[in-house]
Amino acid sequence: MIRRLEVFGLWSAYSFAYPDGMRMWVKHRVRVVVPGRLMACVVLMALVVGPAAAGAADAVGRVAFATDVVPILTKLGCNSGGCHGKSTGQNGFKLSLLGFVPSYDHESMVKEARGRRVFAGDPDSSLLLQKAIGRVPHGGGRRLGTDSPDYQVLADWIRQGAAPPRSDDPILVKLTMTPSRGVLAVNTTEQLKLEALFSNGVRRDVTRQALYLSNEPEIGAVDAAGHVTIGEQGGLFAVLARFGGQMAVFQGTVPFGESTEPEKLPEDASPVDRLLADGWARLGVQPSVEVDDSTLIRRLCLDICGTLPTVEEVRAFQADQRPGRRERLINRLLDRPEYAAFFAMKWADILRNRGKGYSTSKQRPGTALFAGWIRDSLATNKPYDQFVAEILTATGSQRENPPTVWYRQVRTSVDYVESVAQAFLGVRIQCAQCHHHPFERWSQADYYGLAAVFSRVGRRGGFADAEVPTNERIFVRSQGEVHHPRTGRVVAPRPLGGPDLSLSPFDDPRQRFARWLSRPDNPFFARTMVNRMWGHFLGRGLVHPIDDARSSNPPSNPELLNWLTSDFVASGYDLRQLIIRIAGSRAYRLSSQPNKSNRLDTQSYARFYPRRLKAEVLLDAYSQVLDVPTVFPGDRGGKFPAGTRAIELPDENVSVHFLDVFGRPDRRSACECERTDDPALAQALELVSSKEIQRKLSEKTGYALRLGANKKSHSENIAELFVRVFSRRPLEKEAAAALEYLESESDRKAAYQSLLWALLATNEFLFIH
Amino acid sequence: MLTVPGSTYRNCDGLSRRNFLQVGAPLLGLGLSSLLEHEATADDETRDRGKSLIVFWTHGGMSQQDTYDMKPDSPAEYRGPYRPIKTNVPGTIVGERFARQARVMDKIAQVRSVHHENGIHAPSAHWMQTGYFGPTLARIAAQYPSFGSVINKALGARSPHMPAYIAVPKAEAFGYQKSVYLGASFDPFEVGADPNSKNFKVPNLALPGGLELANVRKRRDLLTRFDSLRRDIDRTGVMDGLDAFKAKALEMVTGEEVRKAFEIDSEPDALRARYGRHQYGQSALLARRLVESGARVVTVNTGYWDHHNDVHPNLEQHLPPLDAAMATLLEDLDERGMLDNTLVYCAGEFGRTPLINGHAGRDHWSNCFTVMLAGGGIVGGRNVGASERHGGGVLERPSSPLDVLATIYDVMGISLGTHYEDASGRPVSIVGSGRPIHELT
Repeated sequence: MIRRLEVFGLWSAYSFAYPDGMRMWVKHRVRVVVPGRLMACVVLMALVVGPAAAGAADAVGRVAFATDVVPILTKLGCNSGGCHGKSTGQNGFKLSLLGFVPSYDHESMVKEARGRRVFAGDPDSSLLLQKAIGRVPHGGGRRLGTDSPDYQVLADWIRQGAAPPRSDDPILVKLTMTPSRGVLAVNTTEQLKLEALFSNGVRRDVTRQALYLSNEPEIGAVDAAGHVTIGEQGGLFAVLARFGGQMAVFQGTVPFGESTEPEKLPEDASPVDRLLADGWARLGVQPSVEVDDSTLIRRLCLDICGTLPTVEEVRAFQADQRPGRRERLINRLLDRPEYAAFFAMKWADILRNRGKGYSTSKQRPGTALFAGWIRDSLATNKPYDQFVAEILTATGSQRENPPTVWYRQVRTSVDYVESVAQAFLGVRIQCAQCHHHPFERWSQADYYGLAAVFSRVGRRGGFADAEVPTNERIFVRSQGEVHHPRTGRVVAPRPLGGPDLSLSPFDDPRQRFARWLSRPDNPFFARTMVNRMWGHFLGRGLVHPIDDARSSNPPSNPELLNWLTSDFVASGYDLRQLIIRIAGSRAYRLSSQPNKSNRLDTQSYARFYPRRLKAEVLLDAYSQVLDVPTVFPGDRGGKFPAGTRAIELPDENVSVHFLDVFGRPDRRSACECERTDDPALAQALELVSSKEIQRKLSEKTGYALRLGANKKSHSENIAELFVRVFSRRPLEKEAAAALEYLESESDRKAAYQSLLWALLATNEFLFIH
Repeated sequence: MLTVPGSTYRNCDGLSRRNFLQVGAPLLGLGLSSLLEHEATADDETRDRGKSLIVFWTHGGMSQQDTYDMKPDSPAEYRGPYRPIKTNVPGTIVGERFARQARVMDKIAQVRSVHHENGIHAPSAHWMQTGYFGPTLARIAAQYPSFGSVINKALGARSPHMPAYIAVPKAEAFGYQKSVYLGASFDPFEVGADPNSKNFKVPNLALPGGLELANVRKRRDLLTRFDSLRRDIDRTGVMDGLDAFKAKALEMVTGEEVRKAFEIDSEPDALRARYGRHQYGQSALLARRLVESGARVVTVNTGYWDHHNDVHPNLEQHLPPLDAAMATLLEDLDERGMLDNTLVYCAGEFGRTPLINGHAGRDHWSNCFTVMLAGGGIVGGRNVGASERHGGGVLERPSSPLDVLATIYDVMGISLGTHYEDASGRPVSIVGSGRPIHELT
């Protein structure tokens, strides 16, 4: 039926609204034949707008700003971070990023710029449309054609008076993607369908009005119409669809080869191995072969203890052929002090136990205390929930209660929120400080609700000769609130995802927050730790990056992550058991050498992903092989005790060029990504011409000169030094090459120095593989 | 052209030439002026124009009143003791200690209206090096990458064996000349020694005691051999990056090209003398040699200009050598036909107070100060912006640190639409709100 009729000059337009929400516009040329009577002469255009351009428009065809207009701005990129959505706007026109604040956008479009942007009397001459179609010079170019449905919706909205969002406008309740998961073959396509449910009960297909983004466009690309095109390569990908402030996700699996039945595993195979095998079957990849003992013990020692195995350890492991030998090795490693030291270093990065500052003379006692406490917590296998609760709820003097030292670097609302979210919840919420998170449901209310948990943290005393005061006392104040930056309202303490914590003035909100963390149904806490540890051992988190969990970044094997999480919770947050589960898995034993089916796989752990030794581990490895410890400069011109290892240093403020060039982090953020393993020229130069390495090669009591001076044959020495460096015997061609070189040299000492230098600079040594 | 976070970032300010052609045809309504306007902003792809950049970083803050932005009509407590002198650009005067630059002023452009809002060394250095306000003593905030690292990332070196971004002798003290989230491979290569010292050697290329070049060559051969015997440990390319750097480092140490670039001794004595036998002069000469060999950015961090006390006696130590270095560099580049391809930039974290203080010094001043640009296609002899009567604030055409960097990126051929992701995955524009100072190009 005809809903409305409008006359503009010689043009008239009818809009037909169908019960299912589809709307049809028909434009006519009109001629007034008899006063009061219209006659349609020529039907110029019949345009089906929809089935959805009308969005949630009401029965009289009114265009609703929030659900009809804003999605178009998002779709066209007008309110993206590179254009008008950035905090400074673009050429004086600013919109809320991705349209999360429609009321703001309405003000900008209608009231600013002296109202030139919209002109109800003649919508087509509105600056908004003139710019969008490129008729007036527009930095963003031409975004829209005059004959497009989107143009019509915008023009209609203007024609109807450019109405603001109304309180009785239907609200978008839910967005549903169909399908939400799927297995797709290479070189195929798939059409996604997106349906919106509004508060008035109306459902609409909004497939063409949404904005799509693929996280792996090489695997599955998506176009503006929600049409997915699978490339040549297998793998996992996700497509995020965004409409009207909500999002939905499609998760795609593209098998590398034929999807196969999961391989038959032995009866006693662990759930981890089974779930991995299921993932490989879905992806049509076969796992690489398992590695030999020497590769495995090297991996385990480096990943659990941050330490190379000694020749004796390698030989003992090879000699032990009784059942349960791998579990015994893992347990033995977990009992060693190096395990606690190495993981304490990892945690000190995340907890920002930072020694550097403008003036640092007073910081060392605090960092040493905190470092020691972390190490002890790990050595005694303190349950992880308790470890975190002790940090977050710490009170008292930074001289006496070590976990209060966390509050030294973490000082402001921003620090609290971002550190807690990133370190313990695995969520990057930074975006929501200033605007709604573009890829997640997090709003500023979530951000400031989390900030409010820490709003009553008080500080007394402290000596401020530095960027951050030392020796403060941390206490809980009776008051303290956080305000929403846009509305100015007080925000109640609220853990991510809510609900608000109900608190009396006598409650410490942090205690309540800590209890929320360790609730078995907490969706973030245990999961984040499991994922972090999986990433530590397997080189990539099930959610990658490890601290960026969001619906648009799904885990590569959700069932595995779920199982490990519930197992970790059930164990009482037992870190050692978690390590045993992961390091004892078959995936951890797979070779880094790819087979035909898994060569391009980087997500399913069908082969081991090599990674470079961390800076401290690498320096310690040099010291161990060459038997010459590093001398670390200490406070006031002193030195750390002889034999101190890099993984044992209390903080990062120990000047060692080698560690800096190989990516030791500055501990400025809770993101593990701050520790970089990017290759750099300075690293290679450090290997080639470093004084420290040359010193380690030239020390009289060191291994290189001992070899140079001993009476053994070259062949005997070669056999041993390969085990010492690579934890394996030399290949025949390697032994021959080494022998040939040693025999060709007249200076025996220099020859061993050069040989060792070369082996210690090979990729095999620099990487865990 | 859709600018979407997470996909390739394209400039939203302009159409690419290709897009322009596609779009241009239907837009017959465009007038010629708007067509030209489109064309002017059409260049949204980074194009290596083969240019290099030499930076003189006046760490501590150079006094603009005593050098480029003289105020001869101000009272004595503002103008200081130096007399203005004429230059070869009619109407442009400079301080008398810049007598050599006065003769090449037609190659030099000045921006006399740069300003930002911090007066402390470290945060200001961060601001001028990165374009953004970053951490201060009281504000723990994220760092941004330096413009040298951005250029390194966007363009790389001009020769495969040379480091792209080099600091002479070292990166400045606050650590803000680095790459931060761009990745360690874009940090500056630090020369580590004074090129004016008698036996100038680069410590990072020099060998530790007891190690001979012949030994390093043997080590290189052994490494190549053993690495290739175990190619099987990685067939996926994870190790390629480090492999490339290992090869480059060994080439730098054992090869001729880089070593030669640093051999400042091979320059004729007369030229070395013209540059001046001081750290400024020899650093400038070294910078020219490095650029000639294919470096992209050379930053000379020479001198400490923080003269709170006795500013003029102190300037006597710094202005004449800087003047000789700068003027000779511009002449030398010009004589070698390198000037059009080499941008020269001189700036520090801020300028200094117009009013001389009670200790005969000048303090920190970020409200209005001057930066200098020359070569690389910059219009010489042009002064952009102006300071107030006594130099206190900007009188006309304010320029932000990001405007200056946008100018530099634009000259180098880097798309101003370039964004790089920070550690949290957020795309950060290299120029933000900055716009190139178009009067200079």
